Amino acid sequence: MEQVSQSAFYRWLRKGRIVSQAFFFLLFVFLFVKTDYTGSDSIEYAVNILFRIDPLLALSTMLAVKTIIILMLPALLIVVLSLVSGRSFCGWLCPMGGLLDGWRRLFGRARKNEATRFPSLPAIMLIFILISAIFGVPLAGYLDPFSILVRGLSQAIYPGLNEVTVSFFTFTYQHLPEALNRIVEPVYSLLRYTILPFEQKFYQFGLVSLFVLGLVVAAEYVQQRFFCRNICPLGALLGWCSRVGMLAMSGGDESCGACRHCARICRMGAIDEQRKIDAETCVLCLDCFEQCPRQIISFAGVLPISRGAGTSLSRRRFLTTASASLVLPTVLGVRTLNVQADPLLIRPPGALAEPEFLNRCVRCGQCMQVCITNGLQPVMLRAGIEGMFSPYLVARTGYCEFNCTLCGQVCPTGALQVLGMAEKHQFKIGHAWFDKNLSALCQGYPLHRL
Amino acid sequence: MGKDTSRAGSGRTDVVDWRGSSRINKAAVQSMNRRRFLRQVMLYSSGLSLSLPLFRIPESLAFNASVPDVVRVSGEDYAALVKKTVELLGSMSRFVKPGYKVVVKPNIGWDRKPEQAANTHPQVVTTLVELALEAGADEVKVFDYTCNEKRRCYNNSGMTEAIKSIGSKKAKLVHVDQRKFVPVKIAKGRSLKEWDIYKDALTADCYINVPVAKHHGLSRLTLGLKNSMGVIGGRRGALHHDLGQNLADLATVITPQLTIIDATRILTNNGPQGGSIEDVRRLDTLIGSVDPVAVDALATTLFDLRPEDISSTVAAHQMGLGQMDPAKMNIISGSV
Repeated sequence: MEQVSQSAFYRWLRKGRIVSQAFFFLLFVFLFVKTDYTGSDSIEYAVNILFRIDPLLALSTMLAVKTIIILMLPALLIVVLSLVSGRSFCGWLCPMGGLLDGWRRLFGRARKNEATRFPSLPAIMLIFILISAIFGVPLAGYLDPFSILVRGLSQAIYPGLNEVTVSFFTFTYQHLPEALNRIVEPVYSLLRYTILPFEQKFYQFGLVSLFVLGLVVAAEYVQQRFFCRNICPLGALLGWCSRVGMLAMSGGDESCGACRHCARICRMGAIDEQRKIDAETCVLCLDCFEQCPRQIISFAGVLPISRGAGTSLSRRRFLTTASASLVLPTVLGVRTLNVQADPLLIRPPGALAEPEFLNRCVRCGQCMQVCITNGLQPVMLRAGIEGMFSPYLVARTGYCEFNCTLCGQVCPTGALQVLGMAEKHQFKIGHAWFDKNLSALCQGYPLHRL
Repeated sequence: MGKDTSRAGSGRTDVVDWRGSSRINKAAVQSMNRRRFLRQVMLYSSGLSLSLPLFRIPESLAFNASVPDVVRVSGEDYAALVKKTVELLGSMSRFVKPGYKVVVKPNIGWDRKPEQAANTHPQVVTTLVELALEAGADEVKVFDYTCNEKRRCYNNSGMTEAIKSIGSKKAKLVHVDQRKFVPVKIAKGRSLKEWDIYKDALTADCYINVPVAKHHGLSRLTLGLKNSMGVIGGRRGALHHDLGQNLADLATVITPQLTIIDATRILTNNGPQGGSIEDVRRLDTLIGSVDPVAVDALATTLFDLRPEDISSTVAAHQMGLGQMDPAKMNIISGSV
């Protein structure tokens, strides 16, 4: 009787988890689509909220610039959440997690879960990122799940989707008979005013961003939640919080006999041979709660009851990782780039001085997404390997609109400062000059592009 | 000159509506309607090739009243100013019949405020839209293919707010849809033979051109003919070489039934973009005509220039598209 009611409760709770994942993924998509110029000089809401609640980015950025960044303090919310309810963020809220779980549900194939391939890799990544950050090599943006997700969407998938849709409806508009177009054109209008971007955007290295996101999704076919289990440094950080946090689960025991159903179905590989549930890894998906034949898995309430094997690093590993992360700053310190930075690399208006700018930039691509002229583009290697995907102005694709301050407004970390209109007008992003020996004259003016 | 006298037979007394004075001309223009256009599109598409059909504009669209009416009205109430101008040209019902799909094409090309005089004054536009609606128009579209960012231009020019204030669903301020630029054969073109032109501008039952009069760094002034560049696609910048002839060529296929030049305030220097209030002069004047060349020519005199100083006016006149000598215009002045 007791067991039946428990089962009903967890079945309900597990459904709640799926609804929550779907809801937060849709919320993410909504905010993503809304991250666009609306015709007003200030942007109402943008997906940059996501980057301000990200403890990995907050911690690594604050370590890099050695100050408290107030904009990123909302990340404490997620820290507190993890202290209270473990890695529920990963299982219930994370849009990347939602995407991966949803992808598997829709396109994936059933696959027997095995032990996590590289269980300690996320923690190694995390330590590597944090120590590098202290020594001025910002790497968090390359592995942060939100950066990967938003970059891939905004620089490849979203503009690509627009391009394909417009091509299709151009074809129908031009070649279908009018009677049919009376039906087809309103569909296009609906798409245009709901999910499609206002303008077609173009990005260099969009393919690279797509490739990175594609790898994360493709890894689902290797192992369920492969990225979350084997790479995600944010997950590792939340895992640390969970370890010292309140929530624990009590799993099965010897009396389960040969049954290891819970361990077999666990998407995170959080359940060991003894059926102990590792709170550091468990994302509270509740699959095992619901499916346990004996219905004995439950929340164990407060503190160290079921810590399981854990995935913590040995001291030796920690020290190895820590010393390895010192190599990169050392070698990067003796590059020619440090003698003179690329003078033609024009950063967006409001950008801090180059080293601090890079330390703060989390490569979310928000500034490029809102840039109304499409002038901001991701840089590949011109700012060094720690500068990849940071924004710079490419005048070939667009100019910096004199009366626009959107990039600074959406920057989640303050790498681009919020500029008032008057400040923006004064802000110098670069120095232009006309070489009158080279340029032809057009009615007395230097020749513009014709 | 010779061309003018050869057409003297079809005097302006025959003008019954905007469609032109001669029977042949009227038939030619009427043959270019939406239905016919789409039928053409379908016929072309039914072939093996799915390439776009060339949009063919009937020949002989030349405006041929040798002594056109050109109206010049001044006054500080812009709504009354527009109404008076249209009234002196024979009321809106001369141009817009019930059920018509109308295009009003202002200059909204720049991210500038109304007082900076880089765009057509929003009140001039809204009054025209309202008049067209009163005349029974089914739909009045307002658009421009902007030079600066689209949304900034529409909003900061005051146009978004103004069109919304009309409060009619039939009045639509729309952004340009790249799919609607169709290649058009310019049969009479001397410099341009083909160009992409916005379909809505070609298929409208009535196309009203409402440019702002202002200085332009390359063409000296931008007036009615230059405003047509806001309904063409392609690499527009390339047209600035031999601009006068190119604009005249475009004028053979982009044929507004009515042009009203907004000189309520004019930009006298640093055009077309402007920005400085010091370059703006307030004239509180509108100039209107069905003759696209005459209206440009007369507006030129507001800047203390002569019509022959503007290459597009000269080229269009030479092609027989309209009158450029103010002495040969029936200038009707008014004030409100």
